[in-house]
Amino acid sequence: MQKGDRFIPNRSLMDLDRAHGLLTNRTAPFNATSSFNQEAYRQKLIENLTLDSQGRPFKIMVFRGSPKSSQKPIRFVDELRQEVASIFDNDCKQTPYRCIPKGEKRVLDAPKLRNDYYANIMSWGKNNILAVALGPELYLWNSEDQRVHKLLQVPGGNDWPTSVTWSEDARTLAVGYMCSSLQLWDVESSKLIRNLEGHSGRIASTAWNGRILTSGSRDKSIINHDVRAANNLASCIKRHADEVCGLKWSTEGNRLASGGNENLLYIWEASKMSSSKFLHRLSDHCAAVKALAWCPYQYNVLASGGGLSDGCIKIWNTQKGVCINSIETKAQICGLEWNRHHKEILSGHGYSIRENQNKLCLWKYPSMTKVGELGNHKSRIINLCQSPDGLTVISAGADETLRFWDVFGPPTAGNLMVSDLQGLLSFRTSVLR
Amino acid sequence: MASRSVAKDIITLRGSAAIVSEFFGYAANSILYNRGVYPEESFAKVKKYGLPMLLTQDEGVKSFISNLTAQLSEWLEAGKLQRVVLVIMSKASNEVLERWNFSIETDGEVVEKGVSREKSDKEIMREIQAIMRQIASSITYLPCLDEPFSCPHTSFGHGSSSSAGGFIVSLPLDVLFTGVFDVLAYTDTDVAVPFTWIESDPKLIANPQMVKLHSFDTKIHKVDTLVSYKNDEWDEQ
Repeated sequence: MQKGDRFIPNRSLMDLDRAHGLLTNRTAPFNATSSFNQEAYRQKLIENLTLDSQGRPFKIMVFRGSPKSSQKPIRFVDELRQEVASIFDNDCKQTPYRCIPKGEKRVLDAPKLRNDYYANIMSWGKNNILAVALGPELYLWNSEDQRVHKLLQVPGGNDWPTSVTWSEDARTLAVGYMCSSLQLWDVESSKLIRNLEGHSGRIASTAWNGRILTSGSRDKSIINHDVRAANNLASCIKRHADEVCGLKWSTEGNRLASGGNENLLYIWEASKMSSSKFLHRLSDHCAAVKALAWCPYQYNVLASGGGLSDGCIKIWNTQKGVCINSIETKAQICGLEWNRHHKEILSGHGYSIRENQNKLCLWKYPSMTKVGELGNHKSRIINLCQSPDGLTVISAGADETLRFWDVFGPPTAGNLMVSDLQGLLSFRTSVLR
Repeated sequence: MASRSVAKDIITLRGSAAIVSEFFGYAANSILYNRGVYPEESFAKVKKYGLPMLLTQDEGVKSFISNLTAQLSEWLEAGKLQRVVLVIMSKASNEVLERWNFSIETDGEVVEKGVSREKSDKEIMREIQAIMRQIASSITYLPCLDEPFSCPHTSFGHGSSSSAGGFIVSLPLDVLFTGVFDVLAYTDTDVAVPFTWIESDPKLIANPQMVKLHSFDTKIHKVDTLVSYKNDEWDEQ
């Protein structure tokens, strides 16, 4: 196919196009059930067949430089939202090509939302309920029927929730407070189930791993609570030199990543936590490490984001404790969310002296090239979380709004971005010895 | 074309890259005008290649094309650009209607060793002029770019492009990815994707009709032009 035919010198050109057309077959309905493996194989196949007449491989790029229209984009949030919502619906149907919404799908008012970088006041559970703490009150918003229910209110004026996390089965809500208490709530009955003791400082980060709830505090310690045991304190780790502001368990539950205000990132192995022996101590960041997110398609990979003086997103191989990639966003990073449907990662930003202030940026993985940015928060973004179906991201801003972005679609088959083999080999390790 | 004994000019790699990227800028403008992608009134005439060439006066499109050609020039100088494709899509369905394909063959020796070549500037201009004329006259056989099949196929152009069917004039909202035309670049695989570009699919047309136009050669870059378009159902098979 590649060699020029003696009779038709430019044949290769014509055949290539045809081969492409037949191969990619865009007139057929998009096969949403192809697994990641098939997709990867197809890509490889296409790559191997895309050789030009000289047998040189090539890549194709489309120019997205400046806007082509001289019309200024409409600035009014409401108008923009409505118009883009309809364009977005229209365009995402045709091509499997990525499109980034310019406007939010929805905005919720969030009065009294505290402008505190360290707090983690939002969590979207598998039950489709978003739990969000606004000042001293904690609300539950049902994403199916949009009903709001106030779960609790802290009396007095000196205490408020600083971290909110749903358990994996979304039956229990963990709430950490400014005054160092940690509570477990049963949301169906709106009842407080349990108070967990152990910390002496505010609890800004919490993470669940099966029946273990891990909490990180301003008292610099990390505590693993076994919520079913009478004596809940399973292990207490004192390694950080400052407030523990980021905590995330890996997808398989065998590793914990903890980020501190002293700019350190520790990786712990579940089985070794009681001895306070860390697996890796990573000191590459120059500011607080609050944003942490484990990669859903490569279980060893962790993404971390630094605060204002750092502004870097770093990708780590936690098996070897090595930084695979680092990019500068030049803005404070308050949250990171991986896209389970396409290989991308989204970062949420706060303050910046240069660029990306108050924005959400979407990066292609693993190249870490910027796909685009979105967001029109009027002040900094404090938290990010994503929906259980992995299609919507919410950004909570200091401008007292929660904005919903349909940025991760169109959906691929389930969340099967991981190869079947890896899925088979993974198993949940029991957490503590 | 018989080569006459005209004085030859020295062509450097940089000079050739400039000629080709400039050609692309004018060709893109000509296509946008002739295919009615933007309204006629938004174009102004200038003299180039010994012809009256039309250039858009719309600031947005102007800067789009100049940013684009600047990047193409860079890639041409590095010898890494293989093709440039201007794709025209239906605004309503995003379906690809036309593909203007400019393939580029680069003389590797020039890129590696920095030597220069000789060719008469006038002759290059003449070759480009021939292509520009062909682009302008392509409206005689290319199908309407209006809403699908809503206008009769004009088999004989009557000069002004408005008879080829008015295209939708209102420009789309500035959403990042949508546009009635797109420009693709095919480069070597080791080229880093610049921030203002995104990796793309080839945006092909299924079962296209193809017409090969003239080519031009600076002796460093050879550019072939091909237009492929969606089969118009009005065509006799």
